[in-house]
Amino acid sequence: MKKILVSTALLAGVLSYAGGFRVSLQGVKQLAMAHTSAHAEDASVAFFNPAGMSFIPSKLSVVAGGFGASNKVTFQNLNTLQSTATDNPLGTPFYAAITYKPIEKLSVGLSVTTPFGSTIQWPENWEGKEMVQKLELKSFYFQPMVSVKLADWVSFGASYIYARGIVDWDKAVTQFGGQVNIKDKKASGHGYGFGFYFRPDPKLDVSIAYRSPVDMKAKNGVATFQFPSQSIYSQLKLNGAGQDGFSATLPLVEEYTIGLTYKVTPKWLVSADFNYHGWERYSKLVLDFENAPIGNSPSDPTVLISPKNFKNSKTFRLGTQYAFTNMIYGRLGAYYDESPYSNENFIPETPSFDTYVITGGVGFKLKQFGIDIAGGYALPQSRNVNNSALGFYGQAKAQAFYFGLGLSYNPF
Amino acid sequence: MKKIIISTIAVSALLFTVTSCNTDFDTDVKDIPVTKGDADFTKYISLGNSLTSGYRDGALYSSGQNESYPSMIAGQMRLAGGGAFTQPLMPNDVGGFNNLPGFPGKLNLQVVNGSLTPVPSGAAAALDILPNGGSYQNMGVPGAKSFHLVADGYGSQAGLLTGTANPYFVRFASSPGTSVLKDAMAQKATFFSLWIGNNDVLSYATNGGTNSQTVGTVTTYSTATVQTGNTNPTTYKSNDISDPAVVAGSIKGVLDGLKSVGTAKGVIANIPYVTSVPFFTTVPYNPLTPQALGANLATLNASLYGPLKQALTAFGAGDRINLLSATASNPVLIKDVALQDLSAQLTAALTPSLGAQMAAAFGQIFGQARQATSEDYILLTTSSVINSVAPGAPAPVNIYGISYPLQNQHVLTKTEAGYVKTATDAYNASIKSLADSYGLAFVDANKKMLELNGQSGISFDGVKYTAKFVTGGSFSLDGVHLTGRGYGIVANEFIKSINMKYRSTLPQVDPNKYSGVKFP
Repeated sequence: MKKILVSTALLAGVLSYAGGFRVSLQGVKQLAMAHTSAHAEDASVAFFNPAGMSFIPSKLSVVAGGFGASNKVTFQNLNTLQSTATDNPLGTPFYAAITYKPIEKLSVGLSVTTPFGSTIQWPENWEGKEMVQKLELKSFYFQPMVSVKLADWVSFGASYIYARGIVDWDKAVTQFGGQVNIKDKKASGHGYGFGFYFRPDPKLDVSIAYRSPVDMKAKNGVATFQFPSQSIYSQLKLNGAGQDGFSATLPLVEEYTIGLTYKVTPKWLVSADFNYHGWERYSKLVLDFENAPIGNSPSDPTVLISPKNFKNSKTFRLGTQYAFTNMIYGRLGAYYDESPYSNENFIPETPSFDTYVITGGVGFKLKQFGIDIAGGYALPQSRNVNNSALGFYGQAKAQAFYFGLGLSYNPF
Repeated sequence: MKKIIISTIAVSALLFTVTSCNTDFDTDVKDIPVTKGDADFTKYISLGNSLTSGYRDGALYSSGQNESYPSMIAGQMRLAGGGAFTQPLMPNDVGGFNNLPGFPGKLNLQVVNGSLTPVPSGAAAALDILPNGGSYQNMGVPGAKSFHLVADGYGSQAGLLTGTANPYFVRFASSPGTSVLKDAMAQKATFFSLWIGNNDVLSYATNGGTNSQTVGTVTTYSTATVQTGNTNPTTYKSNDISDPAVVAGSIKGVLDGLKSVGTAKGVIANIPYVTSVPFFTTVPYNPLTPQALGANLATLNASLYGPLKQALTAFGAGDRINLLSATASNPVLIKDVALQDLSAQLTAALTPSLGAQMAAAFGQIFGQARQATSEDYILLTTSSVINSVAPGAPAPVNIYGISYPLQNQHVLTKTEAGYVKTATDAYNASIKSLADSYGLAFVDANKKMLELNGQSGISFDGVKYTAKFVTGGSFSLDGVHLTGRGYGIVANEFIKSINMKYRSTLPQVDPNKYSGVKFP
């Protein structure tokens, strides 16, 4: 029986930067400045650092925005001279947040984000169809949060994370001339986040935040097999519909962020961020089928263990904003995002690259309203693929761009 | 501060312009030309045995032939000036010859009593003689040993009766008197592949080191000979191990013959250890679990294993048999003709307790009996024999493997496996040195098969291939020959070697494209 490899994507589906591209798209204004974090102008700071809420100038702030994320991955096999490109539909992440200060020292808020939502669509019959044909992911982060102003220049905030994820994954099972679909629409997990936000000087903002690991539990997943003949179903201990249940616990990894914003002049600010992601937690994925003996564990034939061997990764961000007038703002940024795995661990269901991203955008402010647009152009570095565990060898490259539109409303 | 920030931006901008140029491939595969290098693929012929013909599932049948490794290689050669590659296709997709004994149709996988079992089918048609004999590029002949390639009359229909001919060659030989080599030379090919020698040792192994003779319905087995110092293959019985000198000489004869007509460039492969194929590795040496033996276990120990061990110990052969364990899986009983025959001694020792008649039977049955060890190979075909009733044996010592030893033809014993390995090593040494002296590309098929047989197998694009029977993906239902996917793996080894030797750039095939075991 072929290995059924459940991918990183399962977990990537509920993490902000993983999967096809480690895309950070939780704030349009932020994206325009390389998705840096130390911007406490409105409620969009909530996802980046709950403590930032205390420095939002208004009592009530509401933000919402959406993005289009387009990407294409190309894989070429130097042995067979085959070349394959994905045909991915446009990803549409969105975010919304509301923050409120019932008293001056206390802020409460709620942030809803879709830290990941994308679809990898390889051609149905491509050479790697046994690993993935299509992988669709959706995710939602619900984060109620609270922040306390400890002093004029410092606040502390914390959030509770409730994460929901959907995975829908098709892959071929060529040995039986068929296909398997792995689906769980109710994966969920819990976590927390906290941070400190400092403004030691009117010119300087410093944001330090931590988001905890989350164990995403897919408890009631269903694997549906489709074969030309049903006689295999009983051999694999599937039900009459060719189905079996599975469960998996997906270790989500923690993230540390430190960011700062410096007002060089009243009109010009510069921001820098450093993120550190604890991907090392994701050394393997264990998939436990209810009945089907399609695993590879010596002790239990229904348990499938897939090595992932991720490593911790870093992101460096640099962004800037210039106020042309007090109504029109121009923004630029660039960041470098490390892939969390080596060439030896490249997987086609969640292709990942060391990526440089150039970002830019403009913002308009009209009294309490703000409208921001942003774009990002990614320069993923092509890489060799040398995965001996899967026998997946070749080269991969990618291209991607993002655009976003965000609204903010700070009524009072 | 201002300066620092400005310079930081400048530096990072510079960083971007320097590094962002690696987003594309150095070379796109669309721009890589397929070249023939120093070779000429205009006319490629393949020589060999069943493995070369595309034989699988215990038969030669048309869809299997279409997935033979030579036809895959030829397909890639066509990208670099290769010409047509015709194969002597069977007239149907079942195989076998219904007018010849011993040529059934292919095995089919079916669910029998809830488990997947290969089931034989009847032969589909009579032996057909193909038109245009001698014009086929795939000249692989199932069953051919090395010396058969240079044997005149190997394709003579009349020779089928005397056992000097092979129906598969009869089908496509240019004339009754020709040899495979002569027909190959007549084609004046520009490139050849040769993979021969497996059968010089394989038939010995798959028959447990025995030759058989069937008269009417009675088959008798005799110990096959490991030929050394006898370079006249016409004196060999069908399952003898060929003298390494004969194998080396035959292969050299083929190479010389081809060279004489200008077919000097080609590729040659060595012989895998037969013990790395599922036919020998599927049935465990110790399948007798305490659960399966049940209450019988204690009875067997008390009335058979105990007395036997006691008697054997007295003759200094106590290590042949141990009492059955109630906690661990137990080995089967086998007959090992390499052991000293203790029949007379056993009979004498057991007469007081069993009576003369029974003691005589015991002596005769257990004189060369021992329990199998992990170094013995129980044949795939023996799985249905174990636990069946041995005809003619007196109850209660008549259950194969449990109370009656599996016979010589059921098992490749450690000693016999040693002969096989020694011969294989000798063949392979000559194949390698011939490859070197004739300047040919060389395929280490043995190494690849061992890799396949290893714990982790070989993976292609997420599909894992192992040498496990039925489910491993690479071996067909006969446990010896490969599936289309397995042949794809072989084709790639040939292509890699050809490219390395002749500086050609033939692309490899994608093994996953081809068919595996057909599930019901």
